[in-house]
Amino acid sequence: MSNVKIKSKNLNVYYGDKQALFDVNLDLNEKEVTALIGPSGCGKSTFIRCINRMNDVIDICKVTGNIEMDGLNINDKDLDVVSLRERVGMVFQKPNPFPKSIYDNISYGPKIHGKGETKSELDQIVENSLKKSALWEEVKDRLDEPGTSLSGGQQQRLCIARAISVNPEVILMDEPCSALDPIATAKIEELIDELKKTYTIVIVTHSMAQAVRVSQKTGFFHLGKLIEVGKTEKIFKNPDNKMTQDYITGRFG
Amino acid sequence: MSNEHTVKSYEEELQFLKDSLIKMGSLTESQLSDAMDAVIKVDKDSIDKIIKSDEEINKFRSKIDTQIMNLLVKRAPMAIDLRETISSLKISQDLERIGDLSKSNAKKVKPLPLDLPDELLGNLKRLGELVMKQLNDVLDSYVNKNFDKAKEVWKKDEQVDDLTYIAMESVIDFLSKDKKNLDFSTHLIFATKNLERAGDHITNIAETVCYLIKGEYLKGSRPKGKVIQE
Repeated sequence: MSNVKIKSKNLNVYYGDKQALFDVNLDLNEKEVTALIGPSGCGKSTFIRCINRMNDVIDICKVTGNIEMDGLNINDKDLDVVSLRERVGMVFQKPNPFPKSIYDNISYGPKIHGKGETKSELDQIVENSLKKSALWEEVKDRLDEPGTSLSGGQQQRLCIARAISVNPEVILMDEPCSALDPIATAKIEELIDELKKTYTIVIVTHSMAQAVRVSQKTGFFHLGKLIEVGKTEKIFKNPDNKMTQDYITGRFG
Repeated sequence: MSNEHTVKSYEEELQFLKDSLIKMGSLTESQLSDAMDAVIKVDKDSIDKIIKSDEEINKFRSKIDTQIMNLLVKRAPMAIDLRETISSLKISQDLERIGDLSKSNAKKVKPLPLDLPDELLGNLKRLGELVMKQLNDVLDSYVNKNFDKAKEVWKKDEQVDDLTYIAMESVIDFLSKDKKNLDFSTHLIFATKNLERAGDHITNIAETVCYLIKGEYLKGSRPKGKVIQE
């Protein structure tokens, strides 16, 4: 039985008057991949943005209820958000490397978090991160070239390398493959399989097949509510809830 | 909320698959019943027709295979649709095997003498009727998605085993009376055994239907009746 890494209890999110999440109770297990599925606007991205307090950047956003990581109250007003985001990395839908070299893209995070004092320490972090993100072999001879010169799939792996360079505990992935071709997608999925040995991963995806392939647990959201959560195998073979079944089989009205 | 797929052609493809399976099921039923009649009445004229209908059943099987392959590759079905697709694959295999067994029984009619005594055929007839009832019930349970009925069929295979035992005994009795009977008695023993095996395929179908409806396999081992030592 896995340990619970992140626990949300009666989590509600409002954008102004509009409520985006309703009493979400969801446990994310340590060193496991949890997939969040549901139609656009159902609240799955809003949910993962609660984990690294990304919703803070939206003025009208209000979060109530509880969300904890290893017992730490993520919603605590006095929490150091920078150090939270060091522990919770994020990868977005479109690859968004900094307009800097491949090397700088990765060393930037460790530098501002005070990791890697010397050049050789930083070199090591860059190499390790690129190896972990399965990009090292492809870029080791051109680390000073701009990150944006890479292909889309490579850029996304660069963003994953950047996320893991500060040695986080959790990685949030918001549709990380939606802009990628099938081969680049397959590489990311294989990488996720490898990364879950070290990190707790949450992935938002619109691809049912991807959710089945990469995750151990799946949560289905609809209109801001968590409708059903369970073992991925169970959700996709024999879900308990009719709404879940209608969504994953493509019957949603 | 609607029960239809957003993609209409997907809905149609699934329906088409179910329809094919139902047609294949009803062909298998008539073939089993014709083969049974042929044995009981020692009707040698119907042998060819029964063998021919087996070809039809086999064609259905490959048509269903193609439909399933297309569904898997085009739709990547999930949940109930996945269970429906996989169940069709399994059920069509069992139906095809039942067809083979009926064909085999029809072929056994050829060497039978026309004046077989009633007491010899009575038990075989009862067994055949039970197996036909079982096939009919299991196909009904598939069409109407009736879990209880499928489970009933599954349980009743015990009776098929028992009747097989009784029918076998009567053939062996007959055989032991006169060694001259050996030749065709052997065919009757095989025909009886074929019916028992058809019963096993029907039990497989019952299990598949239960899985299709509830998404989990029946617990516990199959009920077993008396079995002739092989």
